[in-house]
Amino acid sequence: MVEKVRTVTDVCCPFCGTLCDDLEIDIDLKTDQVVEVRNGCQIGTKKFYASNPSEHRFEKPLIKKNGELTEVSWEEAIDKAADILVKAQRPLLYGFSSTECEAQSRGVELAELLNAILDNTASVCHGPSLLAIQDVGASLATLGEIKNRADTVIFWGSNPVHAHPRHLSRYSDFIRGYFRTDGRNDRYIIVVDPRYTHTAQIADKYIKVKPNEDYELIQSIRAVLRGTDLDVKEVAGVPIEDIKELVERLKSANFGVLFFGMGLTQSLAHHRNIETAIRLVTELNDYNKFILIPMRGHYNVAGANQVFAWNTGYAYSIDFSRGYPRYNPGEFSSVQLLMRDEVDASLVVASDPGSNFPAGAVKNLFKHPLIAIEPHKTPTSAFADVVLPAAIAGIECEGTAYRMDKVPLRLRKVKEAPGESLSDKEILERIIEKVKGKLGE
Amino acid sequence: MSLDDLILLTGRTINQGVALEGGKASRENVRAAGICAFDADDFKKLDCLVGTPVKVITDFGEVVVYSTISEEGPHPGIIFIPMGPWANQLVNPNSQGCGTPIYKGINAKVEVVKNGKVLNALELIGNLKNV
Repeated sequence: MVEKVRTVTDVCCPFCGTLCDDLEIDIDLKTDQVVEVRNGCQIGTKKFYASNPSEHRFEKPLIKKNGELTEVSWEEAIDKAADILVKAQRPLLYGFSSTECEAQSRGVELAELLNAILDNTASVCHGPSLLAIQDVGASLATLGEIKNRADTVIFWGSNPVHAHPRHLSRYSDFIRGYFRTDGRNDRYIIVVDPRYTHTAQIADKYIKVKPNEDYELIQSIRAVLRGTDLDVKEVAGVPIEDIKELVERLKSANFGVLFFGMGLTQSLAHHRNIETAIRLVTELNDYNKFILIPMRGHYNVAGANQVFAWNTGYAYSIDFSRGYPRYNPGEFSSVQLLMRDEVDASLVVASDPGSNFPAGAVKNLFKHPLIAIEPHKTPTSAFADVVLPAAIAGIECEGTAYRMDKVPLRLRKVKEAPGESLSDKEILERIIEKVKGKLGE
Repeated sequence: MSLDDLILLTGRTINQGVALEGGKASRENVRAAGICAFDADDFKKLDCLVGTPVKVITDFGEVVVYSTISEEGPHPGIIFIPMGPWANQLVNPNSQGCGTPIYKGINAKVEVVKNGKVLNALELIGNLKNV
């Protein structure tokens, strides 16, 4: 029998921060298209299928001419992009979290050349976690350690059933580990959330916190842990008896872990929520081993933070306008700059701020020239002035990505990119060369 | 036919994740993320059928989305819109000095608009161009 497909095994999934590394992809030998995805979650599987050529996929560089995106040569598109960036007074380079580390490092190089603002998607998700970790440090561990040891698992403001669909079965809940031989039965799962989420529905204990009152709840848990008798009936909608019971449970754990998500970083108090959560975890280490891990969204946002930090000293929201990196997210984060309409040109790499920024910021993003390095038609790329079609990292080109616990894994190439698409890294390298030429360097 | 004093939460859902990977301009994306999930008892007060368009209004904007009943309730007083273009018409861009906008826990009110049109992602975001 003649083989019709080839199978690529041990593929990393380039969707969420769980970075599952056991996918198997079947590629049709004739058409070089993905025909089967095994082991992936619904979202990861869809991402592989969506890499096949479709009406949503760009295959050639495009430039907006007379209001219409028109196909042009790579040379013309790169020249136009470089021209926009060189002429801008305060260009913004944003995205980078859904691409691989080498492309990210080219982004840093370009930002430095242009004296630009350099930002990744952490600025709208786990940026506050980074601020808090910079303030008070953090006790971390790898997901492998959690799989083998954790017997008490808290998900706070995080809904992995939806956002990290295989997290529970690979690392934190159902999986059997070296010391947790009975898997789910050996673990006590606690979910803290204002909604009775699907994750909460399969937990052992659900704590319903009022929106925006997480800070008060964490502080009261800390107070009770220290033996303070709180003179109230409830905090943040949680009866004081429940808090006391929770504290006893946490103290009696062997190895506990707190996974936290956007519920803490995107609500009021932002990084102060995380800071106090870190302090709680630190204090629990008086009784047992306790760690915390941010539930990172994009598969390589942790990598973007790493690459930016080892190149510039800072993980996100970096301003090169004075020729050296400065860091102050409250001032230099993309959304804040756009809300003040300070940016006069943007380059978006593997990201969709059009969908994910508040409307006021998107309005100002669209006022000025916009370049998108992007494989798909999105609310950002559809309104860009230059579209540079990219190969999808982890599917159509290799690279390195950092899992949410900062373990680097190698992404595999499973098929060729359609049309004239190039990797993010190569596109950025071409822009860098062109920009250098225009700047006379 | 309207509800005041609601709190808006936004966030990932698996349908929204699948839809955005499958094509952001698609109707699938509208069905996944152009929706507002109500607590079952709150929804009764609206006196309309599931799927009726509703206008959600906050201090920062308004948007028309399809109504639905939450599978992750009960959560009286709370409405949920999956993260994405529709939710982002409503969120608070203020970051309280830390750089990250407030995407969750925003005061909101809701009106039933039986003849309202729910725009797709490109139409909705396209409205922000040249205004």
